[in-house]
Amino acid sequence: MMTSIWLDMALAVIVILAICLLGTSRLGSIVALFAFQSSILAAVPFLLGGEIGIHKLVITIGTLLVKVIFIPYMLLWAVRHVSIRRDSPGILGVSTSLLLGGLLIALSFFLSSKLVLSGKTFSGLLIPSAFSTLFIGFLLLISRTKAITQVVGYLVMENGIFLFALLLFETTPLLVELGIFLDIFVGVFVMGIIMNHIQNEFDHMDTSQLKSLKE
Amino acid sequence: MILVVSVLLRFVACLLFSPFLLGVIGKTKAFFAGKKGPPLLQPYYDIVKLLQKSGVYSLTTTWIFRAAPLISMSAVLIASFLIPFGDFKAPVQFWGDVILFAYLFGLARFFTVLAALDTGSSFEGMGANREIVFSCLSEVVLFLNFTVLVVLSKSFSLSQMIGDRSWASWTAVGPSLILVIVSYFMILLVENSRIPIDDPATHLELTMIHEVMVLDHGGPDYAFILHASAIKLFVLGSFFVTLLIPFQSHSLVINAAIFFAGMTGLAVVIGIVESVRARLRMNRIPSFITGAFVLALFGLIIALARAS
Amino acid sequence: MILLVLGLLLAGGGVELILPKNGLRNILLISIALIHLICVASFWFHLPLDAISGFLGLDLFGLIILSILSLLFFAVSVYSAGYVGNEKGRSNRIFTACLLFLFFSMTLVTVSQHLGLFWVAVAFTTLMSAPLINFHHRPQALEATWKYLVIGSVGIALALLGTFFLAISAIQIKSLVLSEVLSHADLLSIPWLKVGVIFLVVGYGTKMGLVPMHGWKPATYGEAPGPVGALLAGGVTNCAFLAFLRISQVCHAANQTEFLRPILLALGILSIAWASLSMLGQVDFNRLLAYSSIEHMGILILGLGLGGIGIYGSLFHAVNNAFSKGLIFLVSGNLFQQYHTKRIRDIQGVLRALPFTGGFLIVSFLAVTGIPPFGTFFSEFIILKAALNDHNYGIAFCYLLFLSVVFIAMASIILRMAKGLPEDATMENPQKEPLITTIPALFLAAIALLLGLCVPPFLDHVLRQSSALLGS
Repeated sequence: MMTSIWLDMALAVIVILAICLLGTSRLGSIVALFAFQSSILAAVPFLLGGEIGIHKLVITIGTLLVKVIFIPYMLLWAVRHVSIRRDSPGILGVSTSLLLGGLLIALSFFLSSKLVLSGKTFSGLLIPSAFSTLFIGFLLLISRTKAITQVVGYLVMENGIFLFALLLFETTPLLVELGIFLDIFVGVFVMGIIMNHIQNEFDHMDTSQLKSLKE
Repeated sequence: MILVVSVLLRFVACLLFSPFLLGVIGKTKAFFAGKKGPPLLQPYYDIVKLLQKSGVYSLTTTWIFRAAPLISMSAVLIASFLIPFGDFKAPVQFWGDVILFAYLFGLARFFTVLAALDTGSSFEGMGANREIVFSCLSEVVLFLNFTVLVVLSKSFSLSQMIGDRSWASWTAVGPSLILVIVSYFMILLVENSRIPIDDPATHLELTMIHEVMVLDHGGPDYAFILHASAIKLFVLGSFFVTLLIPFQSHSLVINAAIFFAGMTGLAVVIGIVESVRARLRMNRIPSFITGAFVLALFGLIIALARAS
Repeated sequence: MILLVLGLLLAGGGVELILPKNGLRNILLISIALIHLICVASFWFHLPLDAISGFLGLDLFGLIILSILSLLFFAVSVYSAGYVGNEKGRSNRIFTACLLFLFFSMTLVTVSQHLGLFWVAVAFTTLMSAPLINFHHRPQALEATWKYLVIGSVGIALALLGTFFLAISAIQIKSLVLSEVLSHADLLSIPWLKVGVIFLVVGYGTKMGLVPMHGWKPATYGEAPGPVGALLAGGVTNCAFLAFLRISQVCHAANQTEFLRPILLALGILSIAWASLSMLGQVDFNRLLAYSSIEHMGILILGLGLGGIGIYGSLFHAVNNAFSKGLIFLVSGNLFQQYHTKRIRDIQGVLRALPFTGGFLIVSFLAVTGIPPFGTFFSEFIILKAALNDHNYGIAFCYLLFLSVVFIAMASIILRMAKGLPEDATMENPQKEPLITTIPALFLAAIALLLGLCVPPFLDHVLRQSSALLGS
């Protein structure tokens, strides 16, 4: 029972942080919020209960190293190297995107009520909050204009996917999960390099300026 | 007899303690600013000083202008009878009192706004306009918060929603409760015109919301207004504190001590928020309230998901 | 054997990073492509054994796609040796290494029998092709790379989610190895399978460039250098098509074909329609090709959705399309290097200026639009027949209508490019065309033509066998 309440709390906080991301426009805070969310995410495998195996340890340490330390550090480095500190609220505006976020949460709960998980369940909140994080990340990705916010949106999406992966501890071999980590890592690394190039070429990282290639 | 005494004690505590909260907030802000600040009892001095003066009334105003401060003050005081203060039960409780509770504040606000319009001053009209716009938004969120608590406690009475804690075991409803508490705190700041929304200490009419409405009041009227807003903070704050602190003790004195310590703590937290946050731009305030709304909505969804 | 091939590619990519000279690197690239081709040819005689406890293995679908990749990559490796050589003063270190890594990940896609590993491999194709697209380092190329990475990563993330849902659906099977899933398909949880299929279709559909997830394709193909475009349009998209084949396999085994079919039909017809209309009045040659690629992906998915004989047609079309698309992108690379522009208005008189390239331009145009005697005609015709067999006359009508729109659009653009006089007077006389960039084109053109004249019996056999796997 005790593990369940902490798990529920952690999941709720993860979604709350995702909502906060929707309402934030300062690039530094966005990266910090993402790092905070990831650090809670790293704790979730232990809150699921069950014995603490090497498997969980690897996943948690991997998440901490990649998503809490390395990626935020790199993003902050990128923020320091561009002259822009704020993202414009994007095409939606803060209020609209917050409301949309609320709608997406409702949608996630509706979706997960349709999907019944056979076998053992950890918490009734796990699947809905995974969907919510995923959807909010997607919303962030498509509604913002700055490259860094888009990268964070993508990473928030990945966090949602990570929560789904937790459902699969028994069945998915470690190899695949390592592959996933590697992919996120390399993906952001390459994105970082490209962002740097974009910055050199255009002197700022507003992807809404990247529109000479129209349909 | 005991009932009468306890109700009287409650009344007096509410009247006497509420300005103290303003003093605590002021002291906290002064501490963060590295200043000595006004004394802790400054709000009392202010109120007493104002009460000793005589009123000055513009010729263009009607009886509404004179009646409004008294009506606000009494509405807020009546509301204080509906809500439990920590372990001290509310003297009046019935099914649906939560709606009366919300609308007593609505009544107080309505008369403050009418009085502001009554003066015919453009500044006060502007303030009334803003006050109504933002309270329209925040009222929705307030009721959403109440709804979550209604769903959780399956009761429509304030005393059982927040006072009777048998339903509120943290292990069962933790996430929704956390969400409600955060969302409610944000609304508390909006309702009491505290800093990220409105700056009570500002001196520029163009940026004011609440303060600009009461510029023309003076003397005892202004004292009532000051005191009413302090009591409002006290009542809404006690809702928060009662919800947040599970009371275990059987001793009356300890319960009272815990409650007042909790209220003081709340005042300190508000003071800290006011010190570290800057006031939001006027056009960002709806976003702030929307954030509170989404949090409450999330809490409601979790509560409903658990109930079904 | 599979491990050997994969190891060779990976090591080759590593060595490319170390080798000091452009020439050496080219020789290594071509020789590795050749060895790969020989290995794949040997696979046709007897399939290699599974490796790493069933994670790696080659089935018939994998074999078909792998052979396409191998042939195409061989042509591209020879071609890119000449292509980069023409760019004065450019080191091909990163370029060749990334080519090999991309080829490694594409090979891994075809031999992955585990659906999670499959996803990892597809993700790597995205990452490894990004630096290749950015080869020219123009601002537009950067923009294209950014779009490609962002949209591609999102697609890949959704595909991962779909894979997870599939795994949750298969939680009682406790394995995502394809053969295990297929043989215990009755244990799959159907609601989760359906959600999984939707996410997989959206995710891999993004990778494949189906409308409405095609946003990256015109930009990316528009900016990618010729050989990279050939690999993307002929290779990477086929890897994504393999993903659709796998999805169909799972759905077929779980008796959910009826759920998948309408989705595929809708995506297919939508892609063909949107692409054909966008091709009218295109001003950029490479973007024209991108829309053509979207159209062909639509045809593949349409064939798969129609089922029956359509699956055979779809597989056959995958083979044909890879070579004809590869050919036309090599031609576009030649054009870009001679004219230094991709604007259709500025490219005229190709036949006069560059007789070989001009000839290939006409040939590839015929192959891409599906004119007999090229293989594409027959595969498109089989898919039409599948629609008629299925009494789907509406789809058959739309299919024919939009294919003719494509033909008109491409004919009006490409014939104008081929004929006439070059604007630049120095190009009046036939230019020198290096052998190294014309021979690969000839190679691909020969294959495309051969497939139309007579389908080799061994290919026909494998195509029939593999389409039988999906119940036709």
